[in-house]
Amino acid sequence: MPRLPRGGAMNKVSRRGFLALVNRVILAISGLMGMAGLWRFLSYAPQPVNPVEFDLGPASDYPPGSRTVVHQARAILIHTPSGFSALSTICPHLGCEVIEIESQYRCPCHGSRFNLLGEVIQGPAGESLRPLRVQEMNDGTLVLYTH
Amino acid sequence: MNPKMFAASTLLLLAIALATWQVQRQPKPIPLTPTISGETEYCQTCHADLPEISASHPVQAFGCIICHGGERLALQADLAHSSMRGGGNPSSFDVVQASCGGSECHSGDPTSQRDHIQRVNTSLQSTYAGAIANIRFTFGAQPDLTARQGIYAIEDDPATSHTGIMSLSAFAPEQESNPALLTFARNCLTCHLSSDPLPGLAYARLSGCAACHTPTADTDLTQPLHRLTTAIPYSQCNTCHNRGNYDLRLMEFTPRSDHPVDRLGDYYQPIAQFVRCEWTLDCLDCHTRLEAMGDGDLYNNQKEIQYVQCRTCHGTLEELPITLRISDPEDIAMRMAFLNPVIDLKIGDVVIVTERGERLWNTRQLTDGTYELYGKASGQRFTFRPVMEIGCLQDVEQQESQYCHACHAVER
Repeated sequence: MPRLPRGGAMNKVSRRGFLALVNRVILAISGLMGMAGLWRFLSYAPQPVNPVEFDLGPASDYPPGSRTVVHQARAILIHTPSGFSALSTICPHLGCEVIEIESQYRCPCHGSRFNLLGEVIQGPAGESLRPLRVQEMNDGTLVLYTH
Repeated sequence: MNPKMFAASTLLLLAIALATWQVQRQPKPIPLTPTISGETEYCQTCHADLPEISASHPVQAFGCIICHGGERLALQADLAHSSMRGGGNPSSFDVVQASCGGSECHSGDPTSQRDHIQRVNTSLQSTYAGAIANIRFTFGAQPDLTARQGIYAIEDDPATSHTGIMSLSAFAPEQESNPALLTFARNCLTCHLSSDPLPGLAYARLSGCAACHTPTADTDLTQPLHRLTTAIPYSQCNTCHNRGNYDLRLMEFTPRSDHPVDRLGDYYQPIAQFVRCEWTLDCLDCHTRLEAMGDGDLYNNQKEIQYVQCRTCHGTLEELPITLRISDPEDIAMRMAFLNPVIDLKIGDVVIVTERGERLWNTRQLTDGTYELYGKASGQRFTFRPVMEIGCLQDVEQQESQYCHACHAVER
């Protein structure tokens, strides 16, 4: 079996050079991890931004006379002969979500009731359901704005 | 290659790896932005498994922080809990105003009885004024039984007071000269809503609003359930009212000894006689919210505020019980039936009312002149007749419950 000559190919990278290479790799990894940590730190958003615009898709999906609950927006989209409108389904009393029962919006938490226009017909809520803006875009889609 | 440089690089990598590992160990935050505050909180990162505390306080609307306090963005338990109100009990009276108060919540309009905190703070269950007055009078520290002191100092509104007691000062044992009063202060002040319970698992109970409105797990009396309810069973009342009595000779508490096995499940001991309905119903099926939580006035003793008698529901030989037809959808009877829907109360229904005008909203007059009552905790339906229609031999001059007990005690 041939023997490698002492100080042959294995010695082309010296011990000092090898350690320097490892050192550079360590520093590079540290730098990358540090940068990743810094990016994570700087991009951290403790308060997630809640969406205020909702693409509702084609307006043709909502026929005249329809009242469609948009759960993700906590709103109800209303299509009347005069066009589209929307109401927030958040009860102005303490923020629970109202539900439609027997042609009324009723708060399941404290019993407030609103008519289909969102007007208070029974407390404890003292204000009407908040109207929201709906815009029909040029491409025929609807966008609902909750703020 | 400088060995020191190499060691420093290695240490740097280890430090960064350790920091990364620590960050990775943290739970992934679960954000919740309740509608009422609009401020994101991360409590559900650890507490997502808790049930809704009540239908009136859904977590999506209220979140946790508005009632419990705490650090809403913290992910470490110690930090997150560091500023919680009342420890685990935000209804503790020293913090209840911050936790449950507010004009739209439980410090609302007195005329519509939405001032729960103010009322409970003046109630005898909180002030303990009757017991203090009784003991101070007995041992010569005051000339009569009029309440002058309470567990804490409190004032009533002179414009609305019916009792004429404008204020109570704080009971201060150190200012008493009679040793019996010092012993009373040391041994006998565990019977009010602010106090800690008597020592021992058998006497575990909660304080503040939770003493009545938060049940404990059946299997562990020290563990409150995450629940607020107005469907309060008699066993909840028994946590305080069925423990035993204070021995006024020894000035110490004497546990009841006749039924030591199931104190919470047994009937209320201090009254010896029971009629069938008292035996079967829960305490709050008859006793009203103003009796239990107070009406905003300061009272001298329990007898002044606890007024419901058998005749409230059954009438007398000469009179039917007082009734009222519900006409207002915001009538308090409708509100109470909404919160605890054991009865499908509707506009036009006739309910029994007390002599002070309180609606017994869990009752209803039937078309045949009889009445029905639904158990607030059990939901069970009971029917009953007025005394006028039965062959009762009750003396018309003796209409209080004690005289009913003479014939209708459960033992008879």
